[in-house]
Amino acid sequence: MYFFSNAFPPVISGAAVVVSGLSLEKYWRRAKGSFSKVWLFFTVGLFLWFMGEAVWAGYTLVLGVEVPYPSVADVFWLAGYFPYFIALYLYVKVFGGALTKKMLAASLASTLVLTIVVTSVLLVPILGAEEDLAALAADFAYPLFDLALFSVAHLGVIIFWTGKLAKSWFFLNASVAVDVCADILFSYTTANNTYYCGHMLELLYHFGSYLLY
Amino acid sequence: MDKEKNTFEKALVEAVDEGLLMLGESGREVIYFRLKHSYALGKEDIPSHPEIFVECLRKIFGSGARVIEKAVIKSLYRRLGLKFAEKEGFDFFEYLREAKKQASKDF
Repeated sequence: MYFFSNAFPPVISGAAVVVSGLSLEKYWRRAKGSFSKVWLFFTVGLFLWFMGEAVWAGYTLVLGVEVPYPSVADVFWLAGYFPYFIALYLYVKVFGGALTKKMLAASLASTLVLTIVVTSVLLVPILGAEEDLAALAADFAYPLFDLALFSVAHLGVIIFWTGKLAKSWFFLNASVAVDVCADILFSYTTANNTYYCGHMLELLYHFGSYLLY
Repeated sequence: MDKEKNTFEKALVEAVDEGLLMLGESGREVIYFRLKHSYALGKEDIPSHPEIFVECLRKIFGSGARVIEKAVIKSLYRRLGLKFAEKEGFDFFEYLREAKKQASKDF
């Protein structure tokens, strides 16, 4: 589990960067429209996540660091959320006209409720733990950044619900949902010092990656 | 009458072309490919069977298809020199009928 958990993610995320890069090349060459930008930001996001996975694997498998958290890997992972968010936003924006004000209000309300729930679940264990500021910030950042992705991604499902594209958006949302759970558990276990490399919760990350890629 | 019909149909084909461009050139080609292979409908046949075109869009994009339909309609109105005004409850076909009616008055 230890080797698989550390060596497998850079391989699969690297493959995802290559596939996304090929799509980007196809769109970029033919027309520099909204979807070229979507693929550009998506590829940049995936590349940063790949870097995060690669750096983590370097720390654990090469340098033998037990739990490299927080580390340079987190800088890449957290930075990756921004282009990924922009990619989703740009995609949804193209079809934004299909959303009614009621839908947008309901979506905003559900995102706010989820943010409050996640923050309150994590508040006591994380603030109670004796962590440095960087770890504290990362503990909150991951689940909250996941929710930021969810706030846009679920709009894609609503827009394309009865269409064939809904399936892709469903997988994307499922991957974000799994990541929210994984990141909450990760923040919780690192705050309690019960996390170790190869922990069962890493299966959630792998499952989330499968759903996304 | 034939000339009038031809002008309208030509404008609609061009409007579809322009409207679908919001998906990028590759996206537009995918739609044309799907129309051709799943519905046996060529680009030039869209004016005779707009319902098939719309069905194809809705099957792929769900309610997101409305955005593409509106882009096509706006482009059509512009090409015909008509003023586009959004009307509540109007769908693609009603706008199309309205455009045909208004255009025939101008010819």
